[in-house]
Amino acid sequence: MIDIRKLKELVKLMVENDLSELDLRDEAETVVVKRTLAGQYQYAPAPGGHPMQMPGGHAPAYSPGAAAAGGGDSEADDDASLHAIVSPMVGTFYTAPDPESPAYVKVGSEVDADSVVCIVEAMKVFSEIKAECSGTIEKLLVKNGDAVEYGQKLFLVRLR
Amino acid sequence: MFSRVLIANRGEIALRIIRACRDLGIESIAVYSEADADAPYLKHADRSVCIGPAPASESYLNIPRIISAAEVTNADAIHPGYGFLAENAHFAEVCRDCRIEFIGPSPEAMGALGDKISCKKLARQAKVPTFPGSEDAIEEEAKAIEVAKKIGYPVIVKASAGGGGRGMRVAHNEAALRAGLKQARQEAQAAFGNGAVYIEKFLEKARHVEVQVIGDKHGNAIHLYERDCSTQRRHQKLIEETPAPGVDPKKRDEVCKSAARLIKNAEYSGAATVEFLMDEKQNFYLLEVNTRVQVEHPVTEMITGVDIVKTGIRVAAGEPLPYRQRDIKIDGHAIECRINAENWEKGFTPSAGRIERFEPPGGPGVRMDTHVITGYRVPPTYDSMIAKLIVHAPDRKQCIARTRRALSEFVVEPIHTTIGLHRELMQNPAFMEGGVDIHFLERLLKKNG
Repeated sequence: MIDIRKLKELVKLMVENDLSELDLRDEAETVVVKRTLAGQYQYAPAPGGHPMQMPGGHAPAYSPGAAAAGGGDSEADDDASLHAIVSPMVGTFYTAPDPESPAYVKVGSEVDADSVVCIVEAMKVFSEIKAECSGTIEKLLVKNGDAVEYGQKLFLVRLR
Repeated sequence: MFSRVLIANRGEIALRIIRACRDLGIESIAVYSEADADAPYLKHADRSVCIGPAPASESYLNIPRIISAAEVTNADAIHPGYGFLAENAHFAEVCRDCRIEFIGPSPEAMGALGDKISCKKLARQAKVPTFPGSEDAIEEEAKAIEVAKKIGYPVIVKASAGGGGRGMRVAHNEAALRAGLKQARQEAQAAFGNGAVYIEKFLEKARHVEVQVIGDKHGNAIHLYERDCSTQRRHQKLIEETPAPGVDPKKRDEVCKSAARLIKNAEYSGAATVEFLMDEKQNFYLLEVNTRVQVEHPVTEMITGVDIVKTGIRVAAGEPLPYRQRDIKIDGHAIECRINAENWEKGFTPSAGRIERFEPPGGPGVRMDTHVITGYRVPPTYDSMIAKLIVHAPDRKQCIARTRRALSEFVVEPIHTTIGLHRELMQNPAFMEGGVDIHFLERLLKKNG
């Protein structure tokens, strides 16, 4: 029997502490609560409260400047015609939600605007990055665990 | 000593810090916004990380992005430079919480000296000369009138959390004081989120003389003598020199020693500048303390031989100051000209754009602190300073002659710069005589139309 009171308490806890996901497990049960913040991914406030809203996975409408190691430059002419999904923040790139799970996407995966393609972690906050486009993943430009910078190209997508 | 230092700044000071790190054998990590993606100094850092788009609020002022960059690059310390987050006690706190060393004072020391009212209290205890005025923030108008009567008009109302000339009102009489209190409070609340104001005696004719100090984490503090920064326009310094011309050596020693006492008492580590106004009788009055390394630090480096940025990094790493007060001597005279990308003949309007020709001066005693090279595009998003020309010579007369010579070699085209203004000033009789007051430049500019 689901304890509604307990759930209410958990939700209250999440709102008060601005959490987007809570995963509680013990011998008896597992409770996972996810909170979607009106289509945006909220960056948890730094100690002392400096909240920063960031659109999740929003590909900026400009070509990012110098890309760091991790291969942002087009090698083949083919790459130039592909759409790049870029990182909206500085952090660490992960291909999967956790080490045990499979990767969100791989080469050949079909994505649409809301598909989560990866996670970028910064200051212990894990942000899901969305594709924000429709197409097929053609190339993965970074490795699991790589440090990525703002504007760095992560995936190349062949648009539908 | 640190292995890796992240520089949370841009432009000439970022390059200055990169150089100090390289001299010390420390890995340097530069951060940049998209507006600085092509900046030529980035390649001198061991690594550079893009942290956001052009607006400072999303890049150089953005604490989470900077901390994040420090974490992914494994930086063990952050140097904030000047401006941006350099005097942000909250940022210093966040660094401490994230176990990254902040190259500068502790948040507590920064807060104690950064707040003007608390700083004044500490100054009185350290026997640093201060303006006669209110002890605390003024709550009621009646108290303000009482204080003003006691110290005599004119007085100035100042914001405790203020700086850069904002949240200030001069009053020559009671009526003006009543109005000024209201206006200053409003401005301070809007600009700094803190409407606390206090009152001080206002000097009609004064010189801006500041003392460079540096402390370590072992309770030591020394001064590196003073700088005269009276040549200003709208509270922005244009020329700085050291030593301050014509100051009585005993009075100089006394005020410099008091500045060192102040930061020692505040348990302050790192570089700081204690700013004073000096009246015609050479009495000093504390203005404020800048809890960071300053733009004009190079002139002090030239006359003392102390590398202030390197020393700041070393004390942040826990090393004791490598100098005792008696080791610090004045050698010659130094002048710094701030070169800004502005059209000084047409109201100092900013002049952004690509620099096609950049020919800096050189030769003995000439130092250029700049991030600019030929082909550099001055971004419109940040402040307009593109270079600092620093000149050193055995005495003031030779220093001015050398500065004149260096300015004549200096070419920056096609954007407008303040080089022309500096050339005029190096020939101006009042400047050449020495001891101009803080309104000298504005009077000169008004006269020339």
